[in-house]
Amino acid sequence: MTLDVFIAERQGRWAALEAAIKTAKRGRLRNQSASDIERFGLLLRQTSSDLAIARRDHPDAPITEYLNTLCARAHPLLYRGRAWRLGAIGPFFATALPRSFRAAGPYIVASLALLLIGFIAGWVAVDVRPDLRASLVPPSLFDEMARGQIGTGVQDAPFAAAFIIQNNIRVALICFAGGMLLGIPTAFVLLSNGWMLGTVAAAVRLGGYDVQFWSLIVPHGVLELSVIVISGGTGLMLGDAILRPRHLRRADALARVAVRAVLLVLGAASLLIIAGTLEAFVSPSGLPDGVKLAVGAAVGVLLYSWLLLAGRGPRRRRMFRFDRPAETPA
Amino acid sequence: MESGQFDTISVRTSDNVTLGYNIAGLGSRLVAQILDNLLAIPLTLIAVLLYGAIASVFVTSAEGATFADAGAGFFAGFAYFGYFFVAEAVTGGKTPGKSAMGLRVIRVDGSAADFGALAVRNVIRVIDVVVVLIGIVVMFFQPQTRRLGDLGAGTIVVRDRATVTLASAVAPPPVMLRTPDAGPPIDGLDHIGSFEHDALRVFLSRPGLSQKLRADLAADIARRLLDRLGLPPGAPERLWPPELLIERVYLQLDQRHR
Repeated sequence: MTLDVFIAERQGRWAALEAAIKTAKRGRLRNQSASDIERFGLLLRQTSSDLAIARRDHPDAPITEYLNTLCARAHPLLYRGRAWRLGAIGPFFATALPRSFRAAGPYIVASLALLLIGFIAGWVAVDVRPDLRASLVPPSLFDEMARGQIGTGVQDAPFAAAFIIQNNIRVALICFAGGMLLGIPTAFVLLSNGWMLGTVAAAVRLGGYDVQFWSLIVPHGVLELSVIVISGGTGLMLGDAILRPRHLRRADALARVAVRAVLLVLGAASLLIIAGTLEAFVSPSGLPDGVKLAVGAAVGVLLYSWLLLAGRGPRRRRMFRFDRPAETPA
Repeated sequence: MESGQFDTISVRTSDNVTLGYNIAGLGSRLVAQILDNLLAIPLTLIAVLLYGAIASVFVTSAEGATFADAGAGFFAGFAYFGYFFVAEAVTGGKTPGKSAMGLRVIRVDGSAADFGALAVRNVIRVIDVVVVLIGIVVMFFQPQTRRLGDLGAGTIVVRDRATVTLASAVAPPPVMLRTPDAGPPIDGLDHIGSFEHDALRVFLSRPGLSQKLRADLAADIARRLLDRLGLPPGAPERLWPPELLIERVYLQLDQRHR
């Protein structure tokens, strides 16, 4: 078949495919009827077979590049992962998120270990050199505790909550994204958060404000530290994928864990809204210390029974792209 | 592969056809980024001003004002980076800047970038931008101009715009100057095929060649054609003027392949 005949015979379907591409809104065909999408698939298959013929018979003709561009523009409209809908949020929190949490177990344990190392180091530092206490811990903290000012409520608590939530989400996302730099920023965030908590905890112990202090930390801290540890775990996942890609190429190993990890960190970060609200409204409030500690314990029990127990049992439906084995790009 | 001026990645489709995607270069990526900043920065400012306005109405204490100020700073960051995520998620991989430059985010396997992939590349955008613009450095050295966020998400930014239109891909009709018909049958046409046919067609439909240039080119092409046809030394075709030979060979091939 000559080029002229080839083009004359088949350009109708190419024009039809081109027109169909233009009807796609926002890079998807969702607004179209089933028969239109079926027709789109047919046109794309026909055109890509034309492309294969053109490559073989007319490799240098401009029509070959035209057909390639046409197919390349149409391909992602048809080939895509499962769509994300609002209705998927429920199953995501009910099953997918706890499963991802358990799947990331070793990384989350490693992340917790880093936080604890920081904590112990901070504690020991203050214990060994109590004279350094003043330089490690803001002295104002002790003044406030001594005057009994802490635990009398924060003024403008909604703004305190907004500030706290945003700060913690920022830290969680940095923990995740730091995985791209081999997890070094992630480890730093974990160690330094542990260190801060350790130094302050040891210092208030010296001052004898233990109960006051922990009742100030525990109600929100259980949730907040858990989220930081989970985020740290996702960052360590990325770093590990880069350092030890095993049988995959580094880029593929990374892309394979990253989507699972980002969903885990986004899901976990949404818990920070609860944590921040507790931190602004409950932790500094005038409630009895026992109530505050009980709130923290209840939150902890709920959190970990959800993360450890939810979504066990057989999988009914594959809800999310990452439930499938990741495709390896050609 | 297809067009020499761009780097491409090849994607093998389920129909076992290889598609070539033109990879967006560092230059167009940066221009798209600048265009997006022209939108994102004013939007961020507006968001922060709104936040401040709300705070000034409701804040009642100095302590609250401190929290509100610090919160506004974080809010600015979320608004700025949120712009890129929302824009990509809503449009299927094209921020307004990318759209203006004809760029689009897709996954390296050629499928559309989904919510998860866009979330990864936009969370990691913070590292790409904040850590001494490491994203630009990585894009410069990465053969496919991918930044860290692209590497993490398994995405790539490609040129989405049609470079060749159907009309421009169809060559103008060939012009026969020498002969109205195909002439006597030429031996040895079995030795040549669609490649020669396409080449002759390009020559015959080329406008604006001076007569001398056209004659020179024709002589060169005719010499090669005679070689390929494998005609015996005394064949009459060897005595035809080059342009006549080319036109007749073309017309005979055209009939044969039609």
